Amino acid sequence: MSKFQKLEFYAQQRPYELLPFKFDRLNDDEYVITNMAGEFLVIPVPMLEPIISKTLPLSSELIPTLRSKQFIRFTNEQAPLQLLALKIRTRLSRLAEFTNLHIFVVTLRCDHSCPYCQVSRQSESKGEFDMTTEMADKSLDFVFRSPNSAIKIEFQGGEPLLNFEMVRYVVLEAKKRNVKEGRDLQFVIATTLSLLTDDVLDFCKQHNIVLSSSLDGPLDLHNANRPRPGRDSHQRFEEGLQKARAALGYDQVSALMTTTDKSLPRARDIIDEYLRLGFDGIFLRTLSPYGFAIKTKKFMSYDTERWLEFYKEGLQYIIELNKSDIRFVEQYSSLVLTKMLTSGDPGFVDLMNPAGAGIAAIVFNYDGSVYASDESRMLAEMGDHTFRLGNILEHSYEEIILSDQLLDALENSFTLSAPMCSDCAFEPYCGAEPVYHHAIHKDVVARKPESSFCKRNMAIFKHLIELMGSDEQTKRIFMGWANRC
Amino acid sequence: MACSHTLIFDERLYDAQVLQKAAYRSINTLTVDIISEEGRFICVLSLNIGLDEPAFLSAIQEFKKDVLDYQLRHRLAVETQPIKNLILGLAFSKTGLISE
Repeated sequence: MSKFQKLEFYAQQRPYELLPFKFDRLNDDEYVITNMAGEFLVIPVPMLEPIISKTLPLSSELIPTLRSKQFIRFTNEQAPLQLLALKIRTRLSRLAEFTNLHIFVVTLRCDHSCPYCQVSRQSESKGEFDMTTEMADKSLDFVFRSPNSAIKIEFQGGEPLLNFEMVRYVVLEAKKRNVKEGRDLQFVIATTLSLLTDDVLDFCKQHNIVLSSSLDGPLDLHNANRPRPGRDSHQRFEEGLQKARAALGYDQVSALMTTTDKSLPRARDIIDEYLRLGFDGIFLRTLSPYGFAIKTKKFMSYDTERWLEFYKEGLQYIIELNKSDIRFVEQYSSLVLTKMLTSGDPGFVDLMNPAGAGIAAIVFNYDGSVYASDESRMLAEMGDHTFRLGNILEHSYEEIILSDQLLDALENSFTLSAPMCSDCAFEPYCGAEPVYHHAIHKDVVARKPESSFCKRNMAIFKHLIELMGSDEQTKRIFMGWANRC
Repeated sequence: MACSHTLIFDERLYDAQVLQKAAYRSINTLTVDIISEEGRFICVLSLNIGLDEPAFLSAIQEFKKDVLDYQLRHRLAVETQPIKNLILGLAFSKTGLISE
């Protein structure tokens, strides 16, 4: 009789079990593994197979980390299951709240003529592109049907200040209804600031309205990207910014940039301009495939690789600024990092699954049409009404929210059942984006290997993880971005 | 000149779905014909129009790595499926979305 049991006897007794996780190659030497709650870990390539085969020695330094991040558990441990369930529930808690952002397109008229305009703006004189009072009333009926305790109403255009009377009407009417409703009601006006007046600012101050604007970079770049009569968009922005900050408060005005081919060599200049004007962050934003951006071929003027170079250069500069004690955030990275480093979901529509269309944001257009997202109404201006959910004057809340146009888009684009996405380690950080994929590929899922959305986001996720792995100080900066109050 | 390359996988070692997933992932560079024959999967890889030979060689290498990765994913998914369902059950049982 043998003195010892065979090796297999001990192998079967190994006291860890696998919990669900996914993996992808980060580079030639490392894999990134992620679990259902978005926890991630970078491991050397040779370690993956032993982890999955459960032949990793218990003395391995990886075991405590794998266990603490819920990639493995010891037999019969219940806490990892409860923790994973809690994190997943926290991450998805926005779904139960339902629609928060309600976009009112009060006019399609605009004083600018940006060649990349994604909403296909109309000239200032065309009154038929304005929302009517009847539409606004019906839209407000719809807004207060949302079960969300927090309601944000955002006025968009065109330039909403060209129909400020409608902005005023909606704000006053919403506040009147909210006396009874008791929601946490917020207002935002997306404006170029070029038409800002003291009357507008007084009203904004009185009703705590926040302004969201556009700044593409230094004067020459901004004015080249955003033409208007007088070629003074930047000057008007800067004047408006100062007036608005003085009236409303320094942090009540934000700005978004759009990357054109002219922006690509000037990442540092653009960031320096944001710093000069006192902003504490920038959203390095690529062009979207809608409206004039397609008609004028602006969208085709650079590819994903070139934009990624721009993004990486800008991000590196921003990290250097933070290392020299200048607190400044790249906002897209910050959204992704929140998903990577916390159990929270920032609720950014592009990075939501199920897609945020309709259930996180909804659009009431100037003509009464209701769209699943801002991008959906942009697509409609190009003649594609796929994501038109109904008309606010003709259809009920139920008819719109339960419309096939919305439910099919949400269901068919769900990433956990989409080819390639369902196995992708970066899926917890990504989004379904049915509107983008429909616009480019005429299919809400599309072939992901051909999707520039997939390529761009995958590259960003990998880049952020590699940056955190290569430099402890960068990781600390990123943790600060992910946990901002 | 059309580039083509054949790879053979033993059916006892690889799942058909694994090869299909790897083929899907390489769709941007390759098309793959998968044939099941005498206990083997024969994969005929053809380069997409407009791409050159170095790109093809690189894509073949990627395809082989992807097959291994997807086989490992398959093993992992099969083993963890029951516990995944349990975790999702736990997560959604306390949302208040389902009336008790």
